[in-house]
Amino acid sequence: MKSPLLENERFVQIAAPLFVGVVFLLLWEAVVRATGTPVYILPGPVDIGKAFVEDWGVLFHSLLMTLKVTLMAFAISVVLGTAASLLFVQSRWIEVSLFPYAVLMQVTPIVAIAPLIIIWVDDTTWALTVCAVIIAIFPIISNTTLGLRSVDPNLLSMFRMYRTGRLQQLIRLRIPSALPYFFGGMRISTGLALIGAVVAEFVAGTGGTQAGLAYLILQSGYNLDIPRMFAALGLITLTGITLFALMVWLSDRVLRNWHESALKVEQ
Amino acid sequence: MTHVKAIRPEVVVAGQDPDTAGTPQGNGRAGRPIVDVHGVDKVYNNGTVALKDVELTVKEGEFVSLLGPSGCGKSTLLRLMAGLGDVTRGEVKWWEQGYDVVGQKGRKLAFVFQNATLMPWARVRKNVRLPLDLNREKGPDTEQRIDQALDMVGLNKFGNAYPRELSGGMQMRVSIARAMVTEPNLLLMDEPFGALDEMTRNKLNDDLLRLWKANGWTVVFVTHSVYEAVYLSNRVVVMAARPGRVIEDVPIEAPYPRGQEFRVSTEFAGYCRRVSEALEVASRQGEEANS
Repeated sequence: MKSPLLENERFVQIAAPLFVGVVFLLLWEAVVRATGTPVYILPGPVDIGKAFVEDWGVLFHSLLMTLKVTLMAFAISVVLGTAASLLFVQSRWIEVSLFPYAVLMQVTPIVAIAPLIIIWVDDTTWALTVCAVIIAIFPIISNTTLGLRSVDPNLLSMFRMYRTGRLQQLIRLRIPSALPYFFGGMRISTGLALIGAVVAEFVAGTGGTQAGLAYLILQSGYNLDIPRMFAALGLITLTGITLFALMVWLSDRVLRNWHESALKVEQ
Repeated sequence: MTHVKAIRPEVVVAGQDPDTAGTPQGNGRAGRPIVDVHGVDKVYNNGTVALKDVELTVKEGEFVSLLGPSGCGKSTLLRLMAGLGDVTRGEVKWWEQGYDVVGQKGRKLAFVFQNATLMPWARVRKNVRLPLDLNREKGPDTEQRIDQALDMVGLNKFGNAYPRELSGGMQMRVSIARAMVTEPNLLLMDEPFGALDEMTRNKLNDDLLRLWKANGWTVVFVTHSVYEAVYLSNRVVVMAARPGRVIEDVPIEAPYPRGQEFRVSTEFAGYCRRVSEALEVASRQGEEANS
């Protein structure tokens, strides 16, 4: 006999990966205990949990700093990236002239240019934000530009038949057509904004009250406080997953009535 | 039986009176030209001659089908009639009331594409009102006109649905409602039912004829199907490919309304044979030009 819960798609989607996770943590703990591995080499999940609780004050403060940079970078990327895309679709010339530079920005390793930006920008928070924007903005630009161009040619013909101006075309046709692409870009961009914020902080090595999760990891490493290092790492991962889930939720909400990506397949 | 026989002549008379009496098209009005394609060539940038010296006059109230093998330029011709794209040589003229050549504003064209071409993000009502929005036509009767258009295609209950919730045939009907809402004096249709199954297609053909009669439209209809062309039209214009040109203009003089009886009549079969023969000639000419 099958339990009805196992036939519930939602339940399975959450329970199955959770089960794998729990098994993994148990194995981890068992291996660490069985081999007697010292905490400064590899702490078990229990030790990491303890660090989580004991160091929560420091961890939470660092999380807020990292989150602040991430969200600022993400917001700026969305605004500037969308603006750039709108500019690109205005004329083929603008796109051809500028797009290679967007690619150039994307392929330059952020680690290599972060020190420069930290020298140029006085305020550390802003310096980190600029670094994160540099890598987070590209998916927004490329996806939104693609979306604004991916318009049903027959619908476009219809707009032309009615002698519709560019602005109307943009508002009524191009922007709605671009939404699924735009949300796809946002999903990638949140993750990159977080990575950018962390990587830039590694390079900057900011301490004091400005310290984010990356600095906490560095510092814990110097002090051989490995459980705290893992706790900080776990927080970064959690933040990334949460931001991604938020984007998925948002795009499903906006697109659920019409776009294939948001449709549930009916059995 | 006798009852039916007694009634039938009356019905026919009622159908002919007062509009249809004495007109060759059988659909009313005096038959002034509404669009005139004169000596038109269309050459694409890559050198393809899509149309060569095409002459075609469509009169008010007519239902004209453009029929021909692939690449004969029938869709190109239709798009030129819609003012989409420029002719290489010759001219396309549109008429309004009183034979005046009208500018871009006055001519009321509607175009129905091969697929429904709806905005997936907008509900049915919003899709139907799109032409009004684009024309910045907003009167007190806007909502009523949308209701009317939806009524006529039998979708008044689906105004708030999204296109994806409708079947292919229903989406096509939304597309037709969107064309109707502008009260066009020229309706251009580019293989509108090509992607549908035969039953839906026959149903929509009958719907289209009913609406055409009721609204006094002028229709230019591109199709691949000989049967569809003969069933619907007053005139079937047969085109040949390479270069695209008109080779025959076959009048279909069967009276409207046409129904199932017409589909199985010898008259229908005769017209189909004539059009098929013309099409045969067109295909052969195209192949010769190709070799």
